[in-house]
Amino acid sequence: MAVEEKNAIVFDNVSKFYGEVLGINRVTLTFEPGITGLVGPNGSGKTTLMNLMTGLLHPTQGEIRVLGESPDHPERLFSRLGYCTQFDSFPAGMNGYQFIYSFLRVHGFTASEAKKLSWQALERVGLEGAAKRRVAGYSKGMRQRVRLAQAISHGPRVLVLDEPLNGLDPMARAEVIEVFQALAEAGCHLIISSHILHEVDMISDRVVLLSSGYVVAEGEIGGVRSETMEEHPIQVLIRCDKPSLVASRLFEQDHVVEATLHDDHGGLEVRTRDADRFYTLLGEVVLAEEVKIETVTVADADVRAVYEYLIGNEGEGR
Amino acid sequence: MSAAVTEPPASLAEDSPRGIDWSLVLRQITGIMRLELRRNLFSRRAFALYFLAFSPLPFFMLWAIMARREITYHEFDIEGPAQAVAGPFTFTFVLYVGSMLFLSALITFMSLYRTEILERSLHYYYLTPVRRWVLVVGKYCSALIASCTVFAVATAALFFLTCIPWGFGEMNRYLFSGPGLGNLVAYLGIAVLGCVGYGAVFLLVGLFFRNAIAPAALIWGWEAINFLLPPLLQKISVIHYLKALFPIPPSETFVAVITNPTSPWISVPGLLIFTALVLAFAGWRARHMEISYGGE
Ligand SMILES: Nc1ncnc2c1ncn2[C@@H]1O[C@H](COP(=O)(O)OP(=O)(O)O)[C@@H](O)[C@H]1O
Ligand SMILES: [Mg+2]
Repeated sequence: MAVEEKNAIVFDNVSKFYGEVLGINRVTLTFEPGITGLVGPNGSGKTTLMNLMTGLLHPTQGEIRVLGESPDHPERLFSRLGYCTQFDSFPAGMNGYQFIYSFLRVHGFTASEAKKLSWQALERVGLEGAAKRRVAGYSKGMRQRVRLAQAISHGPRVLVLDEPLNGLDPMARAEVIEVFQALAEAGCHLIISSHILHEVDMISDRVVLLSSGYVVAEGEIGGVRSETMEEHPIQVLIRCDKPSLVASRLFEQDHVVEATLHDDHGGLEVRTRDADRFYTLLGEVVLAEEVKIETVTVADADVRAVYEYLIGNEGEGR
Repeated sequence: MSAAVTEPPASLAEDSPRGIDWSLVLRQITGIMRLELRRNLFSRRAFALYFLAFSPLPFFMLWAIMARREITYHEFDIEGPAQAVAGPFTFTFVLYVGSMLFLSALITFMSLYRTEILERSLHYYYLTPVRRWVLVVGKYCSALIASCTVFAVATAALFFLTCIPWGFGEMNRYLFSGPGLGNLVAYLGIAVLGCVGYGAVFLLVGLFFRNAIAPAALIWGWEAINFLLPPLLQKISVIHYLKALFPIPPSETFVAVITNPTSPWISVPGLLIFTALVLAFAGWRARHMEISYGGE
């Protein structure tokens, strides 16, 4: 175990309370090398977990070891770890290059090293062109990418990324995912959080599902999916203008367990065991048959949480 | 976008687990000061520093000119006219330190952490391989350099402004044949040590409080009534140590501020020890502080 711990991030029965508010509760987890997706709806404790493993927060209870070290020792931790937080804020009055360069100098790099590393990092996220522009004038996606560049600029072995795809347009998203994969191939460990399973399941070796501060499932992506779906087939309520057509097309799939038309012919209810495929399919059907969708909601309140972390709650067209 | 993976250069050898790599710490402090000096000298916060340090200048000038007209040798029964100003200057300087320098230290040093928490940028520091106390030292030193420079210049300016109306001949005599130069050095020392002491105190306060007003008022009151306190409690203050440095004890001027002046040989190291203790506490606090920016 001792040897493995040197290479992993270990949570041992860790709880974090913000006063009375629960952040995470009794989490025992080991993040191994590779890409781990940390998935859960908003407020499920993803950020709390990441802030704990980087020492920004201290656990109320339990113990954390990052590569064999306590997160209380920044001087040992952050030469090997980079954390791209969820905070979309920057030190005032800097351009992208200065932002990265300045903190590399704080790391202790010499001027010439810091310069070289800054440009490498900016190149990596495709921001060389905007490097000399003020960060304050960046778009959300550019800010996201410059923060990513800052987090990887010192060449860390472990990268912790809190919702790194949030706010990126599809192009930038694909590019950033490419960066993640390149980093992983080069031997980096990545922990990537998202409230949309879809976003990270393609690139993750492993997924941890969080809900209300608890780890509800963890493991290989397929296992997690079937585990949760077998327990909670999702009931989705669709209001649209061609319900019977939609029903017949959806019902061709084996993951759709049940489809019931509404009496007013203005919608239908579907039960499915594979939310991802279901939503992909629904998207295709809607496009192919030119169906006008009014609403898509989860009918059963009990599985709402599962629905949200599997599909996301930002109404993205899937 | 490139797919190549970079290895960090060798200069950032991992800080060894036990011993401290002092040359690395020094580079880190330099890196912190690069960022912080810019903030402390060229930002909105810096405006407060300049304003507080230099705004009394015109009043001093006015007062010096009026004093030149009114004060006569006989009235004060002192050797020369410039010295006649020295007494009132001491009194005014006590007020200057107690208000302008105090406020400026409050704004400059309390902002070091507070502003970064409000602007949500402190985590960038906290995610570098820098020990928390190194960050405290780096931030403190940069604010100190900025404050000391500005207040030393302002103090010298105030001093000369009060002398100039007496004419250059008289000023020369006061400075180089009389106690003038020594007095000036003492005032500069008070300004610098005032920044040293109040700076540490307000850096610490900024690590604990969101709102400056209550703690600032409390500390101001504590400093004001300091001379009434029992000797042991007196030592937990900045003014206690500064008082000993006044070349002409302010008690001999208008207000009886000083009860038992100590020698500078005791009070300067005393203040430095006091400051070191406050900073050590700040380092401890910084280490145990969490960054959550007051909820999401
Ligand atoms: N600073 C804070 N103070 C109080 N409660 C907090 C704070 N940060 C997070 N929480 C609470 O902790 C829970 C987990 O939050 P968080 O870790 O931010 O979740 P996520 O990142 O998955 O959205 C939420 O209920 C949230 O309200
Ligand atoms: Mg979050």
